[in-house]
Amino acid sequence: MIEYATLDHSRESWRLDETVWTRVRNVIAFLMLLGWAGCAAGYVQDSDRFFRSYLVGFLDMTLIALGCLFFVMVMYLTGSAWSVTVRRIFETVMVTIPLAAVLVLPVLGGIHNLYEWSHSEHVAHDKILLGKSAWLNPEAFVIRAFVYVLIWSVIAIRIYTNSTAQDKTKSVKHMDSTSTWSAPGLLLVFLSVSTAAFDWIMSLNPHWYSTIFGIYVYAGGGLACIATVTVICLWLRRHGILAQSINLEHYHDLGKWMFALTVFWAYIAFSQYMLIWYANLAEETVFYSKRLVGSWKFVSGLLLFGHFIVPFFFLIQRRVKRNLGALLAAALWILTICYIDLYWLVMPNFDKEGVRLHWLDAVAWLAVASTYAFAFWWQLKKHSLVPEGDARLEQSLAHVNV
Amino acid sequence: MENSSLPAALEQKELHGIAAAFESPDKLLKAAKAVRKSGFTKVEAYTPFPIHGIDDILGIPHSHLGRIVICCGAIGATAALSLIAWTGSGDPLLLPYWTGLGAYPLVVGGKPLFAFEPSIPITFELTVLLSAFGAVFGMFALNGLPQLYHPIFNFRHANRITDDQFVLVIEKADPKFDATECTRLLQELDPVSVEMVEE
Repeated sequence: MIEYATLDHSRESWRLDETVWTRVRNVIAFLMLLGWAGCAAGYVQDSDRFFRSYLVGFLDMTLIALGCLFFVMVMYLTGSAWSVTVRRIFETVMVTIPLAAVLVLPVLGGIHNLYEWSHSEHVAHDKILLGKSAWLNPEAFVIRAFVYVLIWSVIAIRIYTNSTAQDKTKSVKHMDSTSTWSAPGLLLVFLSVSTAAFDWIMSLNPHWYSTIFGIYVYAGGGLACIATVTVICLWLRRHGILAQSINLEHYHDLGKWMFALTVFWAYIAFSQYMLIWYANLAEETVFYSKRLVGSWKFVSGLLLFGHFIVPFFFLIQRRVKRNLGALLAAALWILTICYIDLYWLVMPNFDKEGVRLHWLDAVAWLAVASTYAFAFWWQLKKHSLVPEGDARLEQSLAHVNV
Repeated sequence: MENSSLPAALEQKELHGIAAAFESPDKLLKAAKAVRKSGFTKVEAYTPFPIHGIDDILGIPHSHLGRIVICCGAIGATAALSLIAWTGSGDPLLLPYWTGLGAYPLVVGGKPLFAFEPSIPITFELTVLLSAFGAVFGMFALNGLPQLYHPIFNFRHANRITDDQFVLVIEKADPKFDATECTRLLQELDPVSVEMVEE
């Protein structure tokens, strides 16, 4: 065993301060109230628009929780040591996923407003939709939505309870149990997120299909999840929480992940685009031709530059990843562009002439985001902010990027 | 502890520096700190594995490898795009100078003679290839590899550097170097042995 000369043994508190916690909880609760009241008003005013805006908000936040689920499983399977001090934040975001069972209800309720294949009289006259009706029918859609959330919830809760039990027992058997769950879990989660993306987003344009679509959506979710964790950790740091346990080295690694996933997203997005461009078949190119109309073409260009080129050259620099202000700016920008990406996937199916912003876009997102945030904040207080029973904790605290 | 004195024979040979072996990375770090504090700048550490924090203590600046890699990557991207534009279009977008100079305009699948879409995979591959070359060969160059001889092998326990000993050397090139003074300093730092190493 190496004795690290740099290790600082004076420990900070790994519990949330009661007054800070209450104040933040009140703010989140207020925003939640505001969001849902706005949603109710919006639903009465323009139910079509409400469901569309809500779908984007729901996808954005749910994919963040799913991204955390993916990363926690990967951390266990690879036995990564750098991530131990930030892992509890990932886990707490991840374990909010059962909420999706409730938050998905407006999407299921708005099925006839959102999905043309849900109208049986419309499908009857459409040979292609008729052929797809074994998968794309309202009953199967609803059942599948709950099956997805069930799969995610079982795995997330299992991993979370293992991790928190380890805080007390310090036993490695919890870690082994999670690793055992993670390998099949990763496969199941990837497949279910992929089909969920087919159901919830791709079927908005039911004649079109792309097999890489699920990975495209999940790549954005993974990126947004790293950005979210970075923002949460930096916010906690500003309030003097976890300022020593999560140090510059861990932020540097979070920055590397943001960079890596920016590249991965671009790789997947381009793979989809190039094949469709090359084949040039009418039933495939419709996806892009819809997004090159009117002001949508500027959004498409924004994604190329804002989702890849600019973050690529920004985050490739070591000094940016090691500058917490710059890293925060990058994380916030990435969260914004990931939302725009989903908006770009959903809205051109409805706003065919060009971008049409609506106040409900912001309000519906706020409702979903604050609900997930409330669950996160509630759960965060229950356990230590750092997995203190983890065998790799010391190694993580002393982690250095060479 | 083995004491070293100055044998007359050694004085005839060129001196590389004074080496001290330590039994743990901790002791090495402490010794390196003390030596640097005494004002020595040409100090080198030899260890069986990377030790966190030693770069800072020895004042080793951050590697320039990243800059070499990005330059190679940029060359790769430019080369790929120019090559495709030149061979594909005959009226190249990027190199008007080569117009009509043995290009191979060929219409494939009704696509334009030059388009970015199908050029990206080749551009990507060439960028990655040249970046990887830059990283590997740049690392060799910056490390001065391949190197067939190094004075540290004259250290009696040199083979243990790849096993269980941590060695610190104050080199003769240091402006403050003085053989007896350095030996005395290193001996105070709890080493296993201190030795003179010839060039």
